[in-house]
Amino acid sequence: MGDQPQTANSEGGIRRSTRTRTRKKKKNQIPLGILAFLLIVAIGIILSLTVGNNVALFWLLGSVFGFILQRSRFCFTASMRDPYLTGGTNLTKAVLTAFAVTTIGFAAIKYGAFTRGLPIPGQSYVVPISLATAVGAFMFGIGMVIAGGCASGTLMRVGEGFGMQILSLFFFIVGSLLGAAHFGWWKLNFIVRGPSVFLPDVFGWVGAVIVQLFIIALLWIAADKWAKRKNVSDGH
Amino acid sequence: MSKEVELDCMGEACPVPLIKCEKALEGMDVGDVLICQIDHSCAMKNVPEWAREQGHNVEIEEVDDGEWEVIIEKVK
Repeated sequence: MGDQPQTANSEGGIRRSTRTRTRKKKKNQIPLGILAFLLIVAIGIILSLTVGNNVALFWLLGSVFGFILQRSRFCFTASMRDPYLTGGTNLTKAVLTAFAVTTIGFAAIKYGAFTRGLPIPGQSYVVPISLATAVGAFMFGIGMVIAGGCASGTLMRVGEGFGMQILSLFFFIVGSLLGAAHFGWWKLNFIVRGPSVFLPDVFGWVGAVIVQLFIIALLWIAADKWAKRKNVSDGH
Repeated sequence: MSKEVELDCMGEACPVPLIKCEKALEGMDVGDVLICQIDHSCAMKNVPEWAREQGHNVEIEEVDDGEWEVIIEKVK
Protein backbone atom coordinates (compact mmCIF):
# COMPACT_ATOMS: atom_id res chain seq x y z
CA MET A 1 0.00 0.00 0.00
CA GLY A 2 2.05 2.90 -1.22
CA ASP A 3 1.09 6.41 -2.15
CA GLN A 4 1.77 5.85 -5.81
CA PRO A 5 -1.11 5.46 -8.21
CA GLN A 6 -2.55 2.01 -8.13
CA THR A 7 -4.92 0.34 -10.49
CA ALA A 8 -7.66 -1.73 -9.05
CA ASN A 9 -6.79 -4.46 -11.51
CA SER A 10 -3.73 -5.31 -9.54
CA GLU A 11 -5.83 -6.30 -6.58
CA GLY A 12 -7.28 -9.37 -8.22
CA GLY A 13 -10.89 -10.40 -7.97
CA ILE A 14 -13.32 -8.09 -9.68
CA ARG A 15 -11.87 -6.34 -12.70
CA ARG A 16 -12.37 -2.63 -12.73
CA SER A 17 -11.89 -1.18 -16.14
CA THR A 18 -10.37 2.20 -16.52
CA ARG A 19 -9.94 3.70 -13.16
CA THR A 20 -6.63 4.66 -11.72
CA ARG A 21 -6.65 6.38 -8.43
CA THR A 22 -4.20 7.94 -6.12
CA ARG A 23 -4.47 6.86 -2.60
CA LYS A 24 -3.52 8.90 0.35
CA LYS A 25 -0.95 7.26 2.52
CA LYS A 26 -2.67 5.93 5.57
CA LYS A 27 -1.65 7.30 8.87
CA ASN A 28 -0.72 4.80 11.50
CA GLN A 29 -3.45 5.10 14.11
CA ILE A 30 -1.96 2.85 16.75
CA PRO A 31 -0.08 5.61 18.65
CA LEU A 32 -3.31 7.60 18.77
CA GLY A 33 -5.15 4.53 20.01
CA ILE A 34 -2.63 3.97 22.80
CA LEU A 35 -2.87 7.65 23.71
CA ALA A 36 -6.68 7.47 23.84
CA PHE A 37 -6.49 4.32 25.96
CA LEU A 38 -4.09 5.95 28.44
CA LEU A 39 -6.31 9.03 28.55
CA ILE A 40 -9.38 6.91 29.35
CA VAL A 41 -7.51 5.13 32.14
CA ALA A 42 -6.16 8.42 33.50
CA ILE A 43 -9.57 10.06 33.52
CA GLY A 44 -10.94 6.94 35.23
CA ILE A 45 -8.33 7.22 38.00
CA ILE A 46 -8.93 10.95 38.40
CA LEU A 47 -12.69 10.38 38.60
CA SER A 48 -12.35 7.68 41.24
CA LEU A 49 -10.07 9.89 43.35
CA THR A 50 -12.14 13.07 43.05
CA VAL A 51 -15.79 12.18 42.43
CA GLY A 52 -16.14 8.60 43.54
CA ASN A 53 -15.70 5.00 42.50
CA ASN A 54 -19.17 4.68 40.99
CA VAL A 55 -18.62 7.50 38.52
CA ALA A 56 -15.26 6.02 37.55
CA LEU A 57 -16.95 2.67 36.97
CA PHE A 58 -19.64 4.30 34.79
CA TRP A 59 -16.90 6.01 32.81
CA LEU A 60 -15.02 2.78 32.19
CA LEU A 61 -18.14 0.74 31.38
CA GLY A 62 -19.32 3.47 28.99
CA SER A 63 -15.97 3.56 27.22
CA VAL A 64 -15.80 -0.22 26.93
CA PHE A 65 -19.39 -0.44 25.75
CA GLY A 66 -18.75 2.16 23.08
CA PHE A 67 -15.61 0.37 21.95
CA ILE A 68 -17.39 -2.97 21.62
CA LEU A 69 -20.35 -1.36 19.86
CA GLN A 70 -18.07 0.31 17.33
CA ARG A 71 -15.87 -2.68 16.64
CA SER A 72 -18.69 -5.18 16.41
CA ARG A 73 -20.95 -2.89 14.34
CA PHE A 74 -23.73 -4.07 16.56
CA CYS A 75 -26.82 -2.17 15.48
CA PHE A 76 -30.22 -2.51 17.09
CA THR A 77 -31.79 -0.53 14.27
CA ALA A 78 -30.49 -2.89 11.62
CA SER A 79 -31.59 -5.88 13.68
CA MET A 80 -35.18 -4.68 13.41
CA ARG A 81 -35.00 -3.16 9.93
CA ASP A 82 -32.96 -5.59 7.84
CA PRO A 83 -35.31 -8.56 8.09
CA TYR A 84 -37.84 -6.48 6.19
CA LEU A 85 -35.42 -4.57 3.98
CA THR A 86 -32.96 -7.22 2.87
CA GLY A 87 -34.11 -10.42 4.51
CA GLY A 88 -30.86 -10.60 6.44
CA THR A 89 -31.31 -11.58 10.06
CA ASN A 90 -27.73 -12.00 11.26
CA LEU A 91 -27.97 -8.91 13.48
CA THR A 92 -31.42 -9.92 14.66
CA LYS A 93 -29.99 -13.21 15.82
CA ALA A 94 -27.05 -11.41 17.43
CA VAL A 95 -29.42 -9.16 19.39
CA LEU A 96 -31.51 -12.14 20.46
CA THR A 97 -28.37 -13.94 21.60
CA ALA A 98 -27.40 -10.85 23.61
CA PHE A 99 -30.88 -10.84 25.17
CA ALA A 100 -30.49 -14.48 26.12
CA VAL A 101 -27.12 -13.81 27.78
CA THR A 102 -28.44 -10.78 29.67
CA THR A 103 -31.53 -12.74 30.73
CA ILE A 104 -29.31 -15.18 32.58
CA GLY A 105 -27.06 -12.42 33.92
CA PHE A 106 -29.87 -10.21 35.19
CA ALA A 107 -31.72 -13.16 36.68
CA ALA A 108 -28.54 -14.11 38.55
CA ILE A 109 -28.06 -10.58 39.90
CA LYS A 110 -31.70 -10.24 40.93
CA TYR A 111 -31.94 -13.72 42.40
CA GLY A 112 -28.71 -13.12 44.33
CA ALA A 113 -30.19 -10.03 45.95
CA PHE A 114 -33.51 -11.82 46.54
CA THR A 115 -31.99 -14.80 48.40
CA ARG A 116 -29.93 -12.51 50.62
CA GLY A 117 -33.05 -10.54 51.50
CA LEU A 118 -31.72 -7.39 49.85
CA PRO A 119 -33.94 -5.14 47.75
CA ILE A 120 -33.92 -6.49 44.19
CA PRO A 121 -32.03 -4.03 41.96
CA GLY A 122 -33.63 -2.60 38.85
CA GLN A 123 -37.23 -3.22 39.90
CA SER A 124 -38.18 0.35 38.96
CA TYR A 125 -37.82 -0.81 35.34
CA VAL A 126 -40.68 -3.25 35.76
CA VAL A 127 -43.25 -0.91 34.30
CA PRO A 128 -46.84 -1.42 33.16
CA ILE A 129 -47.42 -2.72 29.66
CA SER A 130 -50.35 -1.59 27.57
CA LEU A 131 -51.21 -0.47 24.08
CA ALA A 132 -49.07 2.59 24.83
CA THR A 133 -46.00 0.33 24.89
CA ALA A 134 -46.73 -0.96 21.40
CA VAL A 135 -47.56 2.49 20.01
CA GLY A 136 -44.41 3.96 21.55
CA ALA A 137 -42.27 1.13 20.22
CA PHE A 138 -43.69 1.62 16.74
CA MET A 139 -42.96 5.36 16.83
CA PHE A 140 -39.46 4.72 18.14
CA GLY A 141 -38.92 2.26 15.29
CA ILE A 142 -39.88 4.82 12.65
CA GLY A 143 -37.66 7.40 14.33
CA MET A 144 -34.60 5.21 14.57
CA VAL A 145 -34.76 4.07 10.96
CA ILE A 146 -35.05 7.67 9.74
CA ALA A 147 -32.30 8.86 12.08
CA GLY A 148 -30.07 5.99 10.96
CA GLY A 149 -29.58 4.58 14.41
CA CYS A 150 -31.00 4.07 17.84
CA ALA A 151 -29.61 5.91 20.85
CA SER A 152 -26.43 3.88 21.24
CA GLY A 153 -25.82 3.65 17.50
CA THR A 154 -26.22 7.40 17.07
CA LEU A 155 -23.76 8.11 19.88
CA MET A 156 -21.27 5.66 18.45
CA ARG A 157 -21.42 7.15 14.96
CA VAL A 158 -21.10 10.70 16.23
CA GLY A 159 -17.90 9.47 17.86
CA GLU A 160 -16.79 8.09 14.50
CA GLY A 161 -17.29 11.53 13.03
CA PHE A 162 -20.34 10.89 10.90
CA GLY A 163 -21.70 14.40 10.40
CA MET A 164 -25.34 13.74 9.68
CA GLN A 165 -25.89 12.00 12.96
CA ILE A 166 -24.65 14.96 14.96
CA LEU A 167 -27.99 16.36 13.82
CA SER A 168 -29.68 13.18 15.06
CA LEU A 169 -27.91 13.54 18.39
CA PHE A 170 -29.06 17.15 18.75
CA PHE A 171 -32.71 16.29 18.20
CA PHE A 172 -32.33 13.14 20.23
CA ILE A 173 -31.37 15.40 23.15
CA VAL A 174 -34.18 17.86 22.38
CA GLY A 175 -36.69 15.00 22.24
CA SER A 176 -35.39 13.40 25.42
CA LEU A 177 -35.63 16.68 27.32
CA LEU A 178 -39.18 17.29 26.06
CA GLY A 179 -40.11 13.72 26.90
CA ALA A 180 -38.65 13.98 30.39
CA ALA A 181 -40.45 17.27 31.00
CA HIS A 182 -43.84 15.83 30.04
CA PHE A 183 -43.28 12.33 31.34
CA GLY A 184 -45.45 12.85 34.41
CA TRP A 185 -48.52 13.57 32.31
CA TRP A 186 -47.98 10.54 30.06
CA LYS A 187 -47.36 8.34 33.04
CA LEU A 188 -50.54 9.46 34.76
CA ASN A 189 -52.78 9.24 31.69
CA PHE A 190 -51.37 6.32 29.70
CA ILE A 191 -48.55 4.37 31.26
CA VAL A 192 -50.05 3.36 34.61
CA ARG A 193 -53.18 2.02 32.93
CA GLY A 194 -51.78 -1.41 32.37
CA PRO A 195 -50.62 -4.38 34.36
CA SER A 196 -46.95 -4.52 35.30
CA VAL A 197 -45.59 -8.01 35.13
CA PHE A 198 -42.47 -9.27 36.82
CA LEU A 199 -41.99 -12.73 35.35
CA PRO A 200 -40.54 -14.40 38.50
CA ASP A 201 -43.79 -13.44 40.31
CA VAL A 202 -45.72 -15.46 37.75
CA PHE A 203 -43.50 -18.41 36.90
CA GLY A 204 -41.03 -18.48 39.78
CA TRP A 205 -37.36 -17.67 39.27
CA VAL A 206 -36.34 -20.75 37.31
CA GLY A 207 -39.59 -20.75 35.35
CA ALA A 208 -39.16 -17.12 34.38
CA VAL A 209 -35.68 -17.73 32.98
CA ILE A 210 -36.87 -20.82 31.11
CA VAL A 211 -39.95 -19.10 29.68
CA GLN A 212 -37.95 -16.08 28.56
CA LEU A 213 -35.17 -18.17 27.01
CA PHE A 214 -37.80 -20.30 25.29
CA ILE A 215 -39.45 -17.23 23.73
CA ILE A 216 -36.06 -15.90 22.64
CA ALA A 217 -35.22 -19.28 21.13
CA LEU A 218 -38.51 -19.28 19.19
CA LEU A 219 -37.77 -15.80 17.86
CA TRP A 220 -34.24 -16.91 16.94
CA ILE A 221 -35.59 -19.86 14.97
CA ALA A 222 -38.17 -17.63 13.31
CA ALA A 223 -35.43 -15.17 12.33
CA ASP A 224 -33.33 -17.98 10.92
CA LYS A 225 -36.21 -19.39 8.90
CA TRP A 226 -37.17 -15.90 7.71
CA ALA A 227 -33.69 -15.29 6.27
CA LYS A 228 -33.73 -18.61 4.42
CA ARG A 229 -37.24 -18.11 3.08
CA LYS A 230 -36.44 -14.58 1.91
CA ASN A 231 -33.35 -15.75 0.06
CA VAL A 232 -35.19 -18.60 -1.61
CA SER A 233 -37.96 -16.31 -2.81
CA ASP A 234 -35.39 -13.79 -4.08
CA GLY A 235 -33.82 -16.50 -6.17
CA HIS A 236 -36.86 -16.82 -8.40
CA MET B 1 -18.19 -4.61 -22.85
CA SER B 2 -19.39 -4.43 -19.32
CA LYS B 3 -19.87 -1.05 -17.83
CA GLU B 4 -18.87 0.41 -14.54
CA VAL B 5 -21.18 2.57 -12.47
CA GLU B 6 -20.12 4.79 -9.62
CA LEU B 7 -22.59 5.54 -6.92
CA ASP B 8 -21.92 8.36 -4.50
CA CYS B 9 -23.38 7.58 -1.08
CA MET B 10 -21.10 9.85 0.92
CA GLY B 11 -22.84 11.26 3.96
CA GLU B 12 -25.79 8.89 3.65
CA ALA B 13 -26.72 6.93 6.74
CA CYS B 14 -27.91 3.39 6.38
CA PRO B 15 -30.18 2.11 5.02
CA VAL B 16 -29.95 4.72 2.24
CA PRO B 17 -26.75 3.34 0.61
CA LEU B 18 -28.26 -0.13 0.56
CA ILE B 19 -31.47 1.03 -1.14
CA LYS B 20 -29.46 3.06 -3.65
CA CYS B 21 -27.29 0.06 -4.47
CA GLU B 22 -30.35 -2.14 -4.83
CA LYS B 23 -31.96 0.33 -7.25
CA ALA B 24 -28.74 0.83 -9.21
CA LEU B 25 -28.10 -2.90 -9.56
CA GLU B 26 -31.61 -3.50 -10.83
CA GLY B 27 -30.90 -1.39 -13.90
CA MET B 28 -27.59 -3.04 -14.67
CA ASP B 29 -26.64 -6.05 -16.74
CA VAL B 30 -24.90 -9.19 -15.61
CA GLY B 31 -21.16 -8.59 -15.53
CA ASP B 32 -21.47 -4.87 -14.85
CA VAL B 33 -19.65 -3.45 -11.88
CA LEU B 34 -21.09 -1.07 -9.33
CA ILE B 35 -18.77 0.99 -7.19
CA CYS B 36 -20.52 2.38 -4.17
CA GLN B 37 -18.69 5.05 -2.21
CA ILE B 38 -19.72 5.18 1.41
CA ASP B 39 -18.53 6.76 4.63
CA HIS B 40 -21.02 5.21 7.01
CA SER B 41 -19.50 2.36 8.97
CA CYS B 42 -22.78 0.54 9.29
CA ALA B 43 -23.40 0.59 5.55
CA MET B 44 -19.90 -0.78 5.11
CA LYS B 45 -21.19 -3.90 6.81
CA ASN B 46 -24.72 -4.28 5.52
CA VAL B 47 -24.19 -3.41 1.85
CA PRO B 48 -21.57 -6.15 1.29
CA GLU B 49 -23.54 -8.60 3.40
CA TRP B 50 -26.69 -7.99 1.39
CA ALA B 51 -24.87 -8.18 -1.95
CA ARG B 52 -23.14 -11.43 -1.02
CA GLU B 53 -26.43 -12.90 0.08
CA GLN B 54 -27.82 -12.00 -3.33
CA GLY B 55 -24.95 -13.96 -4.85
CA HIS B 56 -22.91 -11.11 -6.31
CA ASN B 57 -19.14 -10.79 -6.15
CA VAL B 58 -18.18 -8.19 -3.59
CA GLU B 59 -14.99 -6.45 -2.60
CA ILE B 60 -14.42 -3.73 -0.05
CA GLU B 61 -11.64 -1.23 -0.28
CA GLU B 62 -10.88 1.36 2.35
CA VAL B 63 -9.86 4.31 0.24
CA ASP B 64 -9.31 6.68 3.12
CA ASP B 65 -9.83 6.75 6.87
CA GLY B 66 -13.51 6.02 7.28
CA GLU B 67 -14.26 6.03 3.55
CA TRP B 68 -14.89 2.85 1.66
CA GLU B 69 -15.66 1.66 -1.81
CA VAL B 70 -17.84 -1.37 -2.08
CA ILE B 71 -17.27 -2.97 -5.46
CA ILE B 72 -20.11 -5.19 -6.57
CA GLU B 73 -20.05 -7.28 -9.71
CA LYS B 74 -23.52 -8.26 -10.81
CA VAL B 75 -23.63 -11.98 -11.29
CA LYS B 76 -27.28 -12.71 -11.92
